[in-house]
Amino acid sequence: MLVYTMRRVLGALPVLVLASILTFVMIDVSGDPLADIRMQQPPPTEEVIQQAEERLYLDRSMPERYWLWMTGIGGNGDIGLLQGEFGPSTQGPQYEIGPAIVERLWTTLRLVGAAMIFALGLAIITGVISALRQYSKLDYTLTFIGFLALAMPTFWLAGIMQAGGVKFNQLVGDQVFATIGDGRFRAEGQPLGDQLLNAFAHMALPTIVLMLISFASWSRYQRTSMLEVMNSDYVRLARAKGLRNHVVIRRHALRTAMIPLTTVVAIGVSSVIDGAILTEYVFQWRGLGDFFITAVDNNDSYALMGWLLLSGVIVILANLVADLLYGVLDPRIRYE
Amino acid sequence: MTTEYMNEEHAAAATDDDVVLEVTDLSVTFPSDDGPLPAVREVSYRLRRGEALGIVGESGSGKSVTSMAIMGLLPRNARVEGSAKVLGQEILGLSDKEISKVRGQKIAMIFQDPLTSLNPVYTIGYQIAEAVLAHKKVSKQVAMARALELLEIVGIPSPDQRLKQYPHELSGGMRQRVVIAIAMANDPDVIIADEPTTALDVTVQAQVLDALQRARRETGAALVLITHDLGVVAGQVDRVGVMYAGRIVESGPVEEVFYRPRMPYALGLLGSLPRLDGDRSDRLTPILGTPPSLRDLPEGCGFAPRCPMARDLCHQEEPQLLLTLEGGDRGPAEAGDADGHTAACHFSGELTGVEASDLFQATSVDTEGVGSVAEVEAAESLIAEAREEYLEEARAEPETAPETAGSTEPEVLLSATDLVKHFPIRSQGLLRRKVGEVQAVSGVSLDLRERETLALVGESGCGKSTTARLLLNLIRLTSGELTYMGRPLHGLSDRRMRPLRKDLQLVFQDPFASLDPRMAVADIIGEPMRIHGSGHRDARKRVKELLELVGLNPEHGSRYPHEFSGGQRQRIGVARALSLNPRVLVLDEPVSALDVSIQAGVINLLEDLQDELGLSYLFVSHDLSVVKHIADRVSVMYLGKIVETATTEQLFRAPAHPYTQALISAIPLPDPIKERTRERIIVTGDIPSPANPPSGCRFRTRCPKFAGELSEAERTKCVEEPPELLDRGAGHRDACHYSQVVELI
Repeated sequence: MLVYTMRRVLGALPVLVLASILTFVMIDVSGDPLADIRMQQPPPTEEVIQQAEERLYLDRSMPERYWLWMTGIGGNGDIGLLQGEFGPSTQGPQYEIGPAIVERLWTTLRLVGAAMIFALGLAIITGVISALRQYSKLDYTLTFIGFLALAMPTFWLAGIMQAGGVKFNQLVGDQVFATIGDGRFRAEGQPLGDQLLNAFAHMALPTIVLMLISFASWSRYQRTSMLEVMNSDYVRLARAKGLRNHVVIRRHALRTAMIPLTTVVAIGVSSVIDGAILTEYVFQWRGLGDFFITAVDNNDSYALMGWLLLSGVIVILANLVADLLYGVLDPRIRYE
Repeated sequence: MTTEYMNEEHAAAATDDDVVLEVTDLSVTFPSDDGPLPAVREVSYRLRRGEALGIVGESGSGKSVTSMAIMGLLPRNARVEGSAKVLGQEILGLSDKEISKVRGQKIAMIFQDPLTSLNPVYTIGYQIAEAVLAHKKVSKQVAMARALELLEIVGIPSPDQRLKQYPHELSGGMRQRVVIAIAMANDPDVIIADEPTTALDVTVQAQVLDALQRARRETGAALVLITHDLGVVAGQVDRVGVMYAGRIVESGPVEEVFYRPRMPYALGLLGSLPRLDGDRSDRLTPILGTPPSLRDLPEGCGFAPRCPMARDLCHQEEPQLLLTLEGGDRGPAEAGDADGHTAACHFSGELTGVEASDLFQATSVDTEGVGSVAEVEAAESLIAEAREEYLEEARAEPETAPETAGSTEPEVLLSATDLVKHFPIRSQGLLRRKVGEVQAVSGVSLDLRERETLALVGESGCGKSTTARLLLNLIRLTSGELTYMGRPLHGLSDRRMRPLRKDLQLVFQDPFASLDPRMAVADIIGEPMRIHGSGHRDARKRVKELLELVGLNPEHGSRYPHEFSGGQRQRIGVARALSLNPRVLVLDEPVSALDVSIQAGVINLLEDLQDELGLSYLFVSHDLSVVKHIADRVSVMYLGKIVETATTEQLFRAPAHPYTQALISAIPLPDPIKERTRERIIVTGDIPSPANPPSGCRFRTRCPKFAGELSEAERTKCVEEPPELLDRGAGHRDACHYSQVVELI
């Protein structure tokens, strides 16, 4: 198992390096960070542009800049990922990308984490129920709900939820759901109960929206996988041994049926991050989604690179975790 | 616990206390979109303590569904009627809690495929202990100790290590023994084994059957053995029931049913079987037609549409399962005579002294497509015509016309010398370094002569299919020489090989995967002609001829492969191979995917085609019975090497290599007395990995001679020196330092 873990971790490193190169090159060729300055009226002097170019290291060649971006060697101390610096921003010298990203990462992770946990739990439960009661009314109902969720675009679903939340608040005459903002600072210093209530109010609707995106497909997946396992010979043999039905389902069917789901969930992380951008935008959270949109608006290439690399790292990490989990769940992989 | 349970039913007098399993009028119906599907109809049988009952039948006869119904393992939507009593307790319709006390405790089950029967994520020990813990309140340690004991009983080497291993670390034969260990964990009264050895090689099958015997001896359990293999039944059971279209159509003591069948179907099954103890000149007699669709059962006897004896009565009234009496009378079976010989045929009396060949026709037409004797005759005349046409066609092409050789010895067409094929094993890392190689074929030499059938036999993984591909130059040789009519084939570019491909054609094992499902049959058969641009003016006519030639209806060319059954598809594959007038056909397990009654027709077809068209066959197979029937010469392969080669006659009469002897003695004979009294040479263990073959003689790790007879000095030679394939006279060659002829059949 140790060898297996080592091999997986070592295998992830080159992928990470490759991801950083890809990220850098793609952003670097896709726009001019100084476009806004050049468009200013009256036109800025040559000197101003030169200064800006120097500050953003645009006077150097692309390979040099990549090296600088990674290591920070030969820079002004504001660049170099290995030193924890994300590089200068077009949004002014006082805007620091690093702290901004870290602050928003927490906001977004809260949303993504909660959504994924709920989606996974619900997907497994409904998938298993659907499989055990195949072709029953319950199965058809769950299938219908699943496809409905699958068919709805995120931004639209988010809009509906928001409007629904507002309507609900009006009906009960109380602010049950907060439909705007992430509310991180609102309840600071208040008693724990209030803090929790506040967190719930702000998180409930966006989490549901984000959850529904992945839940539907994961649930379908779990249903198929469970059906396959329930018809397998080893489940029949477990019954033939004289094990009770619930023991067979829990011990023999569920455990093996969940193995393929780990891969699907790991791959699904990227689409949840996608969804988070839209959801945060609709609910006006100041998370990574908002950070991304601001960065695009400002042609802020270092901020974008940082953001892309970060989401890349999250996806790679998720896959690494899935790989390791696979090894734990399935002995055939462990001893390959 | 009694150890002399076999053949002793008379000792256990027919008291009802002794009945451990009593099935009465069991019927199973599955709902489907096209109406109810009666999979099992009114099956009844009784099983006494320690007795072994065989249930035989072809695929779809309902034999597995019956046992699943008894175990309560059918899907929820199946409707089960009738009764099944274990030790007097009704077990149909029990609640989950009640039935789980019966399963595993009183009645245990073994499934067909050992590779999927064990849960991949738990250790062997856990899975056996789980069975113990399901019924006994003991500690985990005690359960594990019992698991260890059980592994020892079923003959698994170093059982204490195996306990901690996962299923994927064990071979198929080992896993099946683990499943047997699980079945006997709680000393059940009945063990139901559903095709327990079908997925295994013959030498491993012999080991597993042995383990099953030991399990019965140890637990005193009665056995229900479900199988399609009449040979396995003959050797293992006391009584046998033959199932057809969901019913038991004949039952009785195994000798009675095998030697004096009273139902045409049982007689037909026996007649369509190629036999190891039979004569090569015997023609197989396939049964016409196919089993009826359960959805649409005929009014009278289910077998009547295929039965050569059928009369009006048979089509009107379904015969009951009645006792057959001396003199051909039939009488009702009474409760006490459960051991008698019963048959469901109105005219069973007429079958006294009748042989399969008296009743069924030895034909090579597509037996699945025809219904009556008249149709067979019509189809046969079509085949004869088609053969004439084909021969004319072949003569018109001077390049493929057989050269009249001056010598009396038939010309060698395909000749291989020291063929070697190694497949690299690559590491999992990014670099994919080569970390070893699988020595799939290591120095195989053989000659295929004109108009002869050379069989290449061996168990799975011995390299026989790889050799077949090498002979066709479909994969590159690692080293060795290969010539066709004196022209070297090795190293030929694809372009220069192409003209020669006309002469060398291939028929595949899997009739389902080898035909493109999106192409019409006429296009499939015509494709080789198109590729070789033999610009047939009347390609369509030629395709029709080819269809006739293989016994199919020539009007069916526009149909798609899914509209044909397995045997028919295999015929299409043969037609495709014949379209270019080849001289050599390589047949890679051509009949192993087919049911026996259908297999017989395809074998007949291959034999006829060879006789009439002068083809040479390289016949790759694991089934020695089929090989004995069809081959002129046989080469036996083991782990990439040929260990013995001889004429069929020599090889089966006087096998010299211990592996050949073991292989022959492992094949069960469909003859109860012969099967129980013959000499056996049993090999132990599994085939070693071809990535790391044993030094010296590759067979020594499993060789009974090496283990039992040889002295220390003699063994050293086996370990150090690889034996050469040497001639023992009259072309009979074997690769054993201490070979010795043994008579086995």
